[in-house]
Amino acid sequence: MANNFFKTFLLLELLKGLSVTGRYFFARHITVEYPDEKTPQGFRFRGLHAQRRYANGEERCIGCKLCEAVCPALAIKIEIAEREDGTRRTTQYDIDLTKCIFCGFCEESCPVDAIVETRVFEYHGEKCGDLYYTKPMLLANGDKHEEQIAMDRAADAKYR
Amino acid sequence: MNFETLVFYLFAAMSVFAALRVITVRNPVYAALFLVLAFFSMAGIWLLLEAEFLAITLVLVYVGAVMVLFLFVVMMLDVDLVQLREGFWRWFPFGVVLAAIMVFEMVMVLGARQTSETGVHLAKHAADYSNTKELGRLVYTDYVYPFELAAVLLLVAIVAAIALTLRRRKDVKSQNVAQQIAARREDNVRMVQMPAEKKGSVAGNQESEKA
Amino acid sequence: MALLQTIQQMGQGLLGAAWLPVWTVVKILVIVLPIMGTVAYLTLAERKILGWMQVRPGPNRVGPWGLLQPLADGIKLLLKEVIIPANSSKYLFLAAPVLALAPALAAWAVIPFDDGMALADVNAGLLYILAITSLGVYGIIIAGWASNSKYAFLGALRSLAQIVSYELAMGFALVCVLLAAQSMNMGDIVRGQQSQYGLLGWYFIPLFPMFVVYFIAGVAETNRAPFDLAEDESVIVAGFHTEYSGMGFALFFLAEYANMILISALTSVMFLGGWLSPVPFLPNSIIWLLVKMSFFLFLFLWFRATFPRYRYDQLMRLGWKVFIPLTLIWVAVVAAWMQTPLWLW
Repeated sequence: MANNFFKTFLLLELLKGLSVTGRYFFARHITVEYPDEKTPQGFRFRGLHAQRRYANGEERCIGCKLCEAVCPALAIKIEIAEREDGTRRTTQYDIDLTKCIFCGFCEESCPVDAIVETRVFEYHGEKCGDLYYTKPMLLANGDKHEEQIAMDRAADAKYR
Repeated sequence: MNFETLVFYLFAAMSVFAALRVITVRNPVYAALFLVLAFFSMAGIWLLLEAEFLAITLVLVYVGAVMVLFLFVVMMLDVDLVQLREGFWRWFPFGVVLAAIMVFEMVMVLGARQTSETGVHLAKHAADYSNTKELGRLVYTDYVYPFELAAVLLLVAIVAAIALTLRRRKDVKSQNVAQQIAARREDNVRMVQMPAEKKGSVAGNQESEKA
Repeated sequence: MALLQTIQQMGQGLLGAAWLPVWTVVKILVIVLPIMGTVAYLTLAERKILGWMQVRPGPNRVGPWGLLQPLADGIKLLLKEVIIPANSSKYLFLAAPVLALAPALAAWAVIPFDDGMALADVNAGLLYILAITSLGVYGIIIAGWASNSKYAFLGALRSLAQIVSYELAMGFALVCVLLAAQSMNMGDIVRGQQSQYGLLGWYFIPLFPMFVVYFIAGVAETNRAPFDLAEDESVIVAGFHTEYSGMGFALFFLAEYANMILISALTSVMFLGGWLSPVPFLPNSIIWLLVKMSFFLFLFLWFRATFPRYRYDQLMRLGWKVFIPLTLIWVAVVAAWMQTPLWLW
């Protein structure tokens, strides 16, 4: 009882709280000042989507629609048709990035590693429509970042 | 007309205007605010009389505390103006009579002093003259009994006001702050020592299922 | 000092009788302008210190180390549109911010910055301070009522009840100072704390509980965290200034910070010996007052970074059931103590 009384009237708990914030006042700040500094990324980073090609330039996607089926946000839309050489290919492969939640399930489900998520996260659109990525855009992304994508897949391979 | 007279008429005009508006304005909140203005101008006039203690106390007590509580109540009340004005003409003669009596009394009190002390101006005091000290000395020597009586009256009023409004409501569930603050960790938290789970009992089952 | 006298003589020669008001206006400006500058940079200091205590850098984009941030904020607020809500009482709505700021600045008239350096060296200085600071609440009530908004009104009611309760504790704490100094003149209060032992002569030693109560009540009076229920953003949006934008909002902001500076100055003057030096071998100067004020201003910000907001009933309990009895008892203790030879101050 007496203990409580002193604890209350000497404001001990308040002083304890003040000492915590007081210590942190002198601590080095841990903010990453974004445009100047960037946080490190892992090889499993899930950023902007891309479609990959084989080394001979053939697109990997075979239109199996597994990604469309697994997508929890219903962000992927695929139409398929037979190409002249008899293979099954997509005629339309769209990802609506305004719906996408970047869960990486599409990448996970793809049997041929066609759809992947790159490390790119600094992209923008000025209209909603700008974030609706179509097949040529995704392929272009893949072409642009292929080196990085291949390196990341290789680094991740031993954990799969 | 010197500067002081000018200031006096300014404050006097302000207080008369404000006092008139208190009883003529429709909205009770505006009336209360005009009353504040009236107090202010009166404090100004008292300052001119070198009664700085009284002037500041007027502002402190009436403007700073009493009128704030007044405003508090007036803002919260839903005053029905139509109902308020219903009995106006019925009570008007009574009000006029009352006002006349008060004016008569004031004239008698003030007029008597005016005539008996005609030509006597308030003495100018030296710079180190302390109005507060003089007032304190008077209140605690010559007027100590009336002063103490007033204090006791106020005390009785406080006790009465609290006794009138104090009631225990049984249907209200309120928190006991003192109890909440006095609560310590030991009162509410019981630390339990538990032996660590053996590997293979629970975790092992899951492993085998997966396999 | 010699320079001041020559300026005064020159002015008197040039303007004659009109010189006195002109000189007073100059003195007022000399006090008010630095306060305004301090307020501007106090906002930056607040954001920086809060940032550092939360292990982040605080504003650092506008100018070097963010030093131009207050300027940017000021310009933004100046250029914004003043929106007057529908069905509000327009004149009161516009007058409220002014009514909030004016007392915060008027109280500075009696603060002694150095020996004899006060705008008005009045005998009832302490009473004047009490009276003027109690007027600040009008700005808040009127703002809350005139806005015609329930959030603003609730904020105003909260702030009103809070200020009225804590003013009593504050007043009693000051009564102790008044007893100890035996004067209501602010300069005399500081001079009463002068002794050959430096800081041992200051009133915060015999009046320590009052010193703590006064500062905490001061935090509550200025509606600062942890007592900022009047602008409890998680409950009543922004409290009494919910409907204010642009300059109206800026004036409320200025008033709040000017009040913080005022409370810091008052605590320094009443309890920490104003301009007096803490050690006998250093000269007394205005710099000591500024150092003490900065310490209290830092405390304001430190409190804000540390404590969670009070619940309303806890706030009322603290004011009425803890502070007021405590201060009343200490008034009696000090009055009795002063009659004994043990009173050394």
